[in-house]
Amino acid sequence: MIETDVLVVGAGPAGLATAIALRRKAADGRKPRVVVLDKGRSPGSHVLSGAIIDPSGFKGLLTDEEVAKMPVEAHVVKESFRSIMLPKLSVKIPWVPPMMSSKTFPVASLTKVTQYLAQIAAREGAEVYTGYAVTDLVEKDGRIVGAKTGEKGLDKNGRRKSNYLPSEEIRAKATVLAEGGCGILTERLIAEKGLQGVRSQTYAVGIKELIEVPAGTQTAGEVMHTFGYPADFTTYGGGFTYHVSETQVMVGYAYALDYRRPEIDPFRLFRRFKATAAVQRHIKGGKTVAYGAKVIPEGGFYSAPKPYYPGCLIVGDGAGLLDSLRIKGVHIALQSGVCAAEAILADDLASYETRLHATSGWREMKRVRNVRAPFSIAMPFGVMAAGLAWATFGRIPWFRLPGLGESDAAELEELKPGRLEREAANDVPSGPAMPDRLTDVFMSGTIHEEDQPCHLKIKDPARCEECERRFGSPCTRFCPAEVYRRDEGRLQIDFSNCLHCKTCRIKCPCGNIDWTFPQGGDGPRYTRM
Amino acid sequence: MHVVVCMKQVPDTTNVRINPETNTLMREGVESIINPFDEYAPEEALRLKDSCGARVTVVTMGPPQAAVVIREALARGADDGALVSSRAFGGADTLATSYTLSMAIRKLCGGKTPDLVLFGKQAIDGDTAQVGPGVSEFLEVPLVTYVKSLEVAADGAYRVTTVMDDGEQVVEGRFPAVMTVLKEAAVPRFAPLAGWMAAAKAKIEVLDEKAVDADPIRIGLKGSPTKVVTIFPPPVKGGGEKIDARGDGEKGAKAIAAFLQKKGLVK
Repeated sequence: MIETDVLVVGAGPAGLATAIALRRKAADGRKPRVVVLDKGRSPGSHVLSGAIIDPSGFKGLLTDEEVAKMPVEAHVVKESFRSIMLPKLSVKIPWVPPMMSSKTFPVASLTKVTQYLAQIAAREGAEVYTGYAVTDLVEKDGRIVGAKTGEKGLDKNGRRKSNYLPSEEIRAKATVLAEGGCGILTERLIAEKGLQGVRSQTYAVGIKELIEVPAGTQTAGEVMHTFGYPADFTTYGGGFTYHVSETQVMVGYAYALDYRRPEIDPFRLFRRFKATAAVQRHIKGGKTVAYGAKVIPEGGFYSAPKPYYPGCLIVGDGAGLLDSLRIKGVHIALQSGVCAAEAILADDLASYETRLHATSGWREMKRVRNVRAPFSIAMPFGVMAAGLAWATFGRIPWFRLPGLGESDAAELEELKPGRLEREAANDVPSGPAMPDRLTDVFMSGTIHEEDQPCHLKIKDPARCEECERRFGSPCTRFCPAEVYRRDEGRLQIDFSNCLHCKTCRIKCPCGNIDWTFPQGGDGPRYTRM
Repeated sequence: MHVVVCMKQVPDTTNVRINPETNTLMREGVESIINPFDEYAPEEALRLKDSCGARVTVVTMGPPQAAVVIREALARGADDGALVSSRAFGGADTLATSYTLSMAIRKLCGGKTPDLVLFGKQAIDGDTAQVGPGVSEFLEVPLVTYVKSLEVAADGAYRVTTVMDDGEQVVEGRFPAVMTVLKEAAVPRFAPLAGWMAAAKAKIEVLDEKAVDADPIRIGLKGSPTKVVTIFPPPVKGGGEKIDARGDGEKGAKAIAAFLQKKGLVK
């Protein structure tokens, strides 16, 4: 058994901030042993975000010199917000509240920033190990006392191969869950211990490509945020184009998973978004070179779970720490890591929540707490709520605005005849900056050992057949990696394509998909996401 | 028994692209990985450690960050390792590399040659498959290439199966030997977390040109007669004909048959 002072599960920004702050803020001679584990092959390989980073998160964590040396090629120099109505029709919003502005903020690949944070953590003496999935928490007498890593070297029938590696147990005085959006251990803990927020979490799936464009055609640091088309009026959806350098543009589209029509295919919406005139202007002559997808916990303030259980703290996306108006969470994730470290060093884990609530990130979340819910009724309500939250510093409305439904999966209507064909007819032609889904999956670098148990477990195959009749197997559309397909009258699961985005776990209308951990080190290999 | 395993860190060539205008490698966002063919040699060595208590030493030549190759091998169970690294080694071709590695191996073995030196069959960046054979020449030790399986008898004799273009060959001999190992030899084991924790703390010996007593004119660019005149990507192959017969196997089979007939491959 391995013993450590602090075990951090997940080497993303929140987990690494926790590790860095733990080592930096502890007095010399009393520095705790910090072990950070991640299921990705290397730090950042499972990290994906826009990302325009609100630099307030670096305060109290990194030195000015470290912030200056961050792998960032551009800062926001020109920012616009656009409402897209039709493929060729969009209008620029003439004025936006200053709190929405991200002028001068770094615009970068969060994968690269994470790699950089991992270097700093290692330099500070934290131990970062990648390729190890943490698959179970260990509880003793009502307290989390550590965790277990996943086995490796099982064949597809679950039998041990010649290279079988058993699970290892790590005991820790404090365990920090930094798994990111819809983390499996985090979700399990929240459900088992009743840590849910006022409202359950609501997610969007974010799909993103890195497109290389010819030199001299675009401006580094120019960013555009969009809402509207191709989302309908009742679904929260928006996109962005971020020029992270003169020749590289991040293009992303987020679509809320509380959508109701089963024929919806977020990847196709992403393609239609890219085909709009508003986006085409930014990717002209370009070629897609990288791809990825991840769910975003966008419920905000009311959906944030209680982030504390004896022996255990939840930081970052797993704790629902996201400003649901700006869809920004990296800075709050970093702040939560610092708060967790302070609580651990003060030997008072329970104080984490009060420390977190004193951060600027949490205050922002509170201010925009009523923005997300009205968007699920209709977009104009959401826009009004956003305006109101800004104008009154979040004082009005003072009560919790209702949204529709309490769970993303329960929202689906039955599939109406002809709808699938209509969606397919709306698809746009492929091209260098418009790859098909499997080409995109290839560019994510995702890879899984084929001879291992399928990590996407169907709880009851009979329910899949009922789902096919009622909803037309929406998993074959909502998965951005084409993991699910109907073949010869049954559901086939190509788990090797999986991007670990967790959309299926959230959106399967029958709650029939159990997302378990594949062998550590498997999954996407993002290098520039 | 002492086994020395030579490994190399290479750019992950699945991500390497060549700039069509300058014909240079575009390494942006390209990770360094252990040469995939070098995963099998240490496993073969570790099996000898398990079966006959061999001492396993890992050697790699490269920049300081290549030390991670050694750490990974230590995490999996190797006993010790050394990084052969110096600016003076920069630009080495396969001849200079073979010379340098052989000097380093001698140094690590107190001037003697080890019982067995293992290599992967080739590296995925240069694909020359020359360094293993080169080291065997410099060490003046017999060479066996493309080893698929290795058995060691109690009296120290070995029996290996090697793969040739037209079949397999069984070779028997006595150590010392240099061997290059194929993928088929062994499925590499995973490093346990506890192993990584120990390996991360291990101090790794760095050998420079003085430490290995290398002749200055035989190392690095100076010791490399190979000159790279030009690098160019191979011509892009046109995509094949795609037959989409999902849901209609018969139609697909007929289309394939018609295609083969057109090519004159079947009647």
